[in-house]
Amino acid sequence: MNIVFENLLFNGVFLAMAGAAVAALAGIGSAIGIGIAGQAAAGVISEDPKKFGQTLILQALPGTQGIYGLLIAFLIMTKIGLLGGDGLLDITMAQGAYIFASGIPVGLVGIFSGIAQGKSSAASIMLISKRPEELAKGMVYPAMVETYAVLALLISFLMLNGIQV
Amino acid sequence: MSIAKMKKLSVIGLVSNREELMEKLMTLGVVEITDQEDKLSDSQWHEMVARDSDEQTVAEFESQISRVSQALSVLEKYGTGKKPLLHTKKPITLREFQKALERKQQIEEKVAHINSLSARHAELTNSINKTQSLKLSLEPWIEYDVPLEEKETSTADIILGVVPSTVDALQFINELEEKVPESMAKLLKSDAEQHYIYVVCLKEKRDDADDVFRTYGFSKVHFGDMKGTVKENISALEKKVEELTAEKVQIEESIRGREGDSEDLELLYDKLVILRDKAAIRQNLLVTKKTFYMSGWLPAKAADKVSSLLEEVGCYYQIEDPEKGEETPVLLLNGGFSTPFEAITKLYALPDSRSIDATPFFSLSYAIFFGMMLGDAAYGVVLAVITGLVLKKYKLEGMKYQLIKMFFFCGISTAFWGAMFGGWFGDLVAVVGKTFFNADVSIPPIWFSPLDDPMKLLLFCFLLGGIHLFIGMGLNGWLSIKDGRPLDALFDVGLWYLLLISVTLLLVGIVPTVAKWMAIIGAVGIVLTGGRHKRGLGKVIGGFGSLYGITGYLSDVLSYSRLLALGLASSVIASVVNNMGSFGGPGIKGVILMAVAFIIGHTYNFAINGLGSFVHSCRLQYVEFFGKFYVSGGEAFQPFGENTKYVDILREEN
Repeated sequence: MNIVFENLLFNGVFLAMAGAAVAALAGIGSAIGIGIAGQAAAGVISEDPKKFGQTLILQALPGTQGIYGLLIAFLIMTKIGLLGGDGLLDITMAQGAYIFASGIPVGLVGIFSGIAQGKSSAASIMLISKRPEELAKGMVYPAMVETYAVLALLISFLMLNGIQV
Repeated sequence: MSIAKMKKLSVIGLVSNREELMEKLMTLGVVEITDQEDKLSDSQWHEMVARDSDEQTVAEFESQISRVSQALSVLEKYGTGKKPLLHTKKPITLREFQKALERKQQIEEKVAHINSLSARHAELTNSINKTQSLKLSLEPWIEYDVPLEEKETSTADIILGVVPSTVDALQFINELEEKVPESMAKLLKSDAEQHYIYVVCLKEKRDDADDVFRTYGFSKVHFGDMKGTVKENISALEKKVEELTAEKVQIEESIRGREGDSEDLELLYDKLVILRDKAAIRQNLLVTKKTFYMSGWLPAKAADKVSSLLEEVGCYYQIEDPEKGEETPVLLLNGGFSTPFEAITKLYALPDSRSIDATPFFSLSYAIFFGMMLGDAAYGVVLAVITGLVLKKYKLEGMKYQLIKMFFFCGISTAFWGAMFGGWFGDLVAVVGKTFFNADVSIPPIWFSPLDDPMKLLLFCFLLGGIHLFIGMGLNGWLSIKDGRPLDALFDVGLWYLLLISVTLLLVGIVPTVAKWMAIIGAVGIVLTGGRHKRGLGKVIGGFGSLYGITGYLSDVLSYSRLLALGLASSVIASVVNNMGSFGGPGIKGVILMAVAFIIGHTYNFAINGLGSFVHSCRLQYVEFFGKFYVSGGEAFQPFGENTKYVDILREEN
């Protein structure tokens, strides 16, 4: 019983898939972030429905973390052969563990930066409710937060790219 | 290039010529007439001149404008006419414009008519609401079938009223009938808030009944002078609502029938705005009994035109250069490629008039960064074609024109970089070939595919970033030299150039000994000069603090890694989309799935990554580049001219 269970959990493919799963968790951050921004946007719209387009742009900004997570998850799945013709590759424990590690940066940073970016977007939405002409500046503040999600994406990608399978 | 040179204009003329001059200046539209508040507070000036103004005329035009714009918004609200996607001004010749306005009286009547229709509409909406709420308040009493005008008989009172729903209605009725046997009460209806009850009570026992009413919080309901039963009243009200609604619909229709008038109204609106502005500008003039004084700014290029105009009108004038260091209004002037990128500068903030315009220095890098981040040739083509068509079809102006034109250039750049990296809707060609034709085709990249060798592209991004930063630092040095502080340029820019170049050489491993000494000279120089504006111990600490700033340059350069990361994001998401589309395999179902995935997926990817590319290109300019040298805070040049909203008045040059 024990041996079977161990074989199931501690094998390369499972670890690699867990890595993909962790990367995809970045979506949590985006979901919460977009939610926060959406609440602020709805409040602004209640006063001035014409600002829908502008607020939507700002609301979309924290959405990128989820996309970065999806991207890494997709690359991991392609790497281990889950997607695309040839079927699952033979992955060793060590390789699986490396791949798992490569999913962590984008997943973890994605969660927190997504939430932080959402708050910053919400503040920018408040900004354009009073000064709609300052949309560009309102977009730059959330973009400052996103830098760190981009860096995490880059690290995840470079780690993953360096692993030989 | 960049910031247009301004000249200061002062004019003295006869009041009798004032109207003619204003008219001509407005048509020319190149002179900003400044407010004279400071001169008025100067006692020497104050004794001689007074502020010219014509507030009454301005107010008169204001109220006319608001009437016209109200009528226009009514037409827009109820009209069926489709609004064009982009608002453009309609070109019209001066003669047509004047001819149309000969019918001013008629147009004003149209405005009055539309506004009266809209007032009636508002009135109707109001009375429909009132009638409906009255009807709602009657509905609980629908079972009470005694005519409402019967409020008493010769011996008894009929009382209608409510008790709160927290009170037990039956208990109330029982107690009333127990204490005042000469009465009867009936519960008609109960809802969440209250119980509806009618009571008949002998007149002489009314006081006893009132006691019971008070204990239970029974409050009487009055129906005013309504006649007939509740049912009859309700159906009468319903009928009234129907009639009112019918009239409302009719009015909406007749407003819609007036839609053709909107063109005339727009002409009138613009005419009124022009007249208002002409009257309002007199605020900025100073007058004596027979003469007036005005001063302002004009671009140096327009000086000839303005002086010939002033001579024609017969005014005394003076056109001079601003004093050194004097702030002037800011007008950006750039070449054909850079002009659209002024939008990005304006979105940040206009430059200080004594500094420089950043636009010509970043326009190319903006397009390059945008292209690398969106990084798909097909997306670039789509973007360039859409914006190209918009530019061709609509005659846009101002910020809108600049942004669209800018995206046109960015689209071309995207197509270029996409072709370099081999992305055409991601790997669409390969996926379609494999899925449907079982063929191994693909469009090879001209340079290399970033997915194969990301480190190479990362280094390329850092290189681009380094160049970008060096340009920014160089501009800073140039500004210092221009201001007569060449040593600052040497210490703050030159030494950093030396240090940063040598560190790069050391990292790459080219000429290590030379690089080592360069680095040492640079670093020591920075430590020695970094604290030169401070005193005492501050000099030492300031020097080391300045050297510590190298971490700032490190993070600045690393920031350009987003070029790679966002470029990868759009190309990988594109291939995810293609992959999902290929799950249906060959066959008709597969084709449908592919088409759906293509349309939804690529539209989404294009939109979200286009937005990302725009925002992050802005960020690289605003934070990394502008931070090095840019001084903002200029006031925009606002020439006195025809500020029309709907039409563009064409004048034949004569």
